[in-house]
Amino acid sequence: MEDKHIQIKVSRTICGACHCLCGVLVHVRNGHIIKIEGDPEHPQNEGIMCPRGLSYIQQIYHPDRIKYPMKRVGERGSGKWERISWSEALDTIAAKIRQAREEYGPESVGLMFCDGLRGNENWQFSFMHALESPMICGTDAHYCLRPQGNADMATFGLGNFISHCEGNGPQFEHSKCILIWGANHFQTELTAARRIIKGLKNGAKLIVADPRFTNLAAKADIWLQVRPATDTALALGMINYIIKHEIYDKKFVENYCFGFEQLKERAEQFPLRKVSDITWVPEEKICQAATMYATLKPASLDMFMGLSMHNNSMQALRAVDCLMALAGNIDIEGGNLIKTPKPVRMFHTSVEPATRLSQEKMAKAPGVNLWPMFYGYNATIDANSHPPSFFDMLLTGKPYKIKVLLNAADPVMGKQESKKVREAIKKADFFVTFDFFISPTASLADILLPAASYLEKDLVQGHAYVNHFGVTGKVIEPVGECRDEAEVFIELAERLGIEFALPMKSVKEFSDWQLKPSGKTFDEMRGEKVVSVPVSYKKYEEEGYRFPTPTGKIELYSKRFEQYGYDPLPYYEEPPCSPYSTPELFKKYPLILISGARILFFYHGAGRQIPWLRELCPDPAIEIHPETAEKLGISDGDWVWIETSQKEGRVKQKAELTLGIHPNVVHARSHWWFPERKDDPERGCMESNINAVMGSDPPYDPISGSTVVRGCLCKIYKVEEDNRL
Amino acid sequence: MIQKNLYVDLEYCFGCRVCEVACKQENNIPVGVKRINVVTVGPRIAEGKLKTDFVPMRCRHCAKAPCIDACREGAISKRSDGIVLINPELCIGCMLCSEKCPFGAIQLNPETQAAEMCNLCFHRTDAGLEPACVHHCPADCMYFGNINDIMKIIRKKQSERMLEKETGL
Repeated sequence: MEDKHIQIKVSRTICGACHCLCGVLVHVRNGHIIKIEGDPEHPQNEGIMCPRGLSYIQQIYHPDRIKYPMKRVGERGSGKWERISWSEALDTIAAKIRQAREEYGPESVGLMFCDGLRGNENWQFSFMHALESPMICGTDAHYCLRPQGNADMATFGLGNFISHCEGNGPQFEHSKCILIWGANHFQTELTAARRIIKGLKNGAKLIVADPRFTNLAAKADIWLQVRPATDTALALGMINYIIKHEIYDKKFVENYCFGFEQLKERAEQFPLRKVSDITWVPEEKICQAATMYATLKPASLDMFMGLSMHNNSMQALRAVDCLMALAGNIDIEGGNLIKTPKPVRMFHTSVEPATRLSQEKMAKAPGVNLWPMFYGYNATIDANSHPPSFFDMLLTGKPYKIKVLLNAADPVMGKQESKKVREAIKKADFFVTFDFFISPTASLADILLPAASYLEKDLVQGHAYVNHFGVTGKVIEPVGECRDEAEVFIELAERLGIEFALPMKSVKEFSDWQLKPSGKTFDEMRGEKVVSVPVSYKKYEEEGYRFPTPTGKIELYSKRFEQYGYDPLPYYEEPPCSPYSTPELFKKYPLILISGARILFFYHGAGRQIPWLRELCPDPAIEIHPETAEKLGISDGDWVWIETSQKEGRVKQKAELTLGIHPNVVHARSHWWFPERKDDPERGCMESNINAVMGSDPPYDPISGSTVVRGCLCKIYKVEEDNRL
Repeated sequence: MIQKNLYVDLEYCFGCRVCEVACKQENNIPVGVKRINVVTVGPRIAEGKLKTDFVPMRCRHCAKAPCIDACREGAISKRSDGIVLINPELCIGCMLCSEKCPFGAIQLNPETQAAEMCNLCFHRTDAGLEPACVHHCPADCMYFGNINDIMKIIRKKQSERMLEKETGL
């Protein structure tokens, strides 16, 4: 029984349930968290929270949480574990790394990471650099966030997300027009959603480009129901329209943009009729949207992964960047802002150039030679390896055999060709996973390490957000023997006798180093409000300002792309499989499949074991237009099989009939597994996981190496008695 | 009598269901029971356009609450500030109240075996705080207070919307 007389202590910290980094107030009684609520004094969220953050208490104290280091005792993947001590775990891992390094070289040690732990990845990177292994794989590098960064880099010379809310680029709340392209903040980042709603309350018009009638599209004045993966054509059509009708910002373009004539010429190839035929968006809607965005000033724009997950993705992002520049919405109040630097050393900066691996050594990572601008030494944002190539390397042992694989991600659920990814991971002689729960990927581990959550560790926060920085300070002692992964990498380095690239010997020293430019220490900031950095506008009007591009201007014609041999102007390419590029295949697979749209309740593959979240979204569902469903004899709630033209096999999901999708398009929920299936060590991870039937083969985007995730072809049919298994 | 209540501006509700989870945590409500539940209506065709609405359904704390009359155990009462409360000690879980509720707002809590519905977080609001749902609503479209005071805010807003429609501004 809890003693109700023991006083409740309320601690201020920053949430780590996803990347929004909301301020939270954590109520603790007798060392036990009893409530987590939004901090009204934090400028990012102003008191609000999302379902993930509000239910985090059920994650911390979940009975299935990994609480102790464990080693595999049965066959790999059989789900049989035995608790071990931290020293046994670390001794074993260190011995395996030492052996691999001595016998096969440093390249035989690999690391995979993604969003999951929301920790300080700096330590993992530094550890790998100290080991002299370039085999670091951000498993989403080819299509998440880095494409935005690279497109912005090419256009503005700024790789910090002027075009996306994670950089606080778009200032929605002061806009007269908001254009959201291939993103839905109402299901991903409520901090951005809050600012979009503020804009709407102030009278802003909303344009949404999305193949689905999302809850964001439901609030839109204009919804552009674009055919999946044809965004570049739509953007070029809008560019052509605003140039032809001379409604672009002439003065801004003249003063600050390079390559207008070339872009104009390129866009002329995209007259309205043609664009409408390609994108399935009616001509008048293209005109309305282009006019609204170009003439209602200020207008803010946000684009995200709807554009970055196909083989024409870099040019799609570039085209939208150009549209933004033509409308002159750069660094004005209510437009898209250029970040003001913060006095804090953040994410992606820890591996200082002087102590990084050499260009030659980093080029050993898979994919660097094929996409040299995007990966390896020259990467704008940390992207060491091309993920599909990394999995090929794991599988074939070429050019390097990975003996020891460290992991803090769940690529079996998150990556296309799940079965291949699973087989690839099994090829590593020794596989270690850090996680909160035994995910389908973690189930393959030889050693499982229990990760500390944001409530159980210290962390400097603020990498993504321009206007402020603060700290996540430990609120409770870790549950069981959970530990901050940063500490674990420090201890591993000690055991191996390797020197970190940084001079810091502890998490605390490192945190203080991160905060040093601000004149504060970690302990001074613990439990305190975040520090805001004032916003400024029109920095380019300052004497001598140059955009950090080769020409010093915003490059509609990208010199950076030209230097690397890429087309410096946006161009459209029809998806490799589509009703037009492969009409015969389309007869056999008559639906365009999209997947990966996020649900607010889950953070990618995580959260399906949290009762309050799973209740809100119990099943994997495929969205089908009622007309299509009727032709196929499918009713709402029926289970249907999905087969794609990309990979053999099939997965099943539950039909959700909706008018909010085109009759020729279906959307399947991604990342679906069944943590509740305790008898199955794999937790049904291939049954409804759409990535199991999606491919990761070429053609890749020539610049980013993105695979075709948006817009492959599929067929669906009802699950019947005779085809149930 | 003062009538405290919750008002939701449906124009800005976007169906995030934060209110549902905020309520669950605040009041420790088990799976399967919801004091507030956002119902999605649509997508449907309305006036030639596709439309989806989100309607947070919850106890309306009716001035003439039919649930109070329906309860034979005298377990439901109305406070002087208008909040309708179920006393779980007196409730026998017969759910006669739910049959009379025009909004489907009352469910049986399997843990307490008593009827469960919104109590406007009176433990918070009596202390001057907002209900948990209002505090966490990202659209800032939920209002708590004296319903007549809330209506003053709404009137102003609706008058602006009305003019906007007339003049097409």
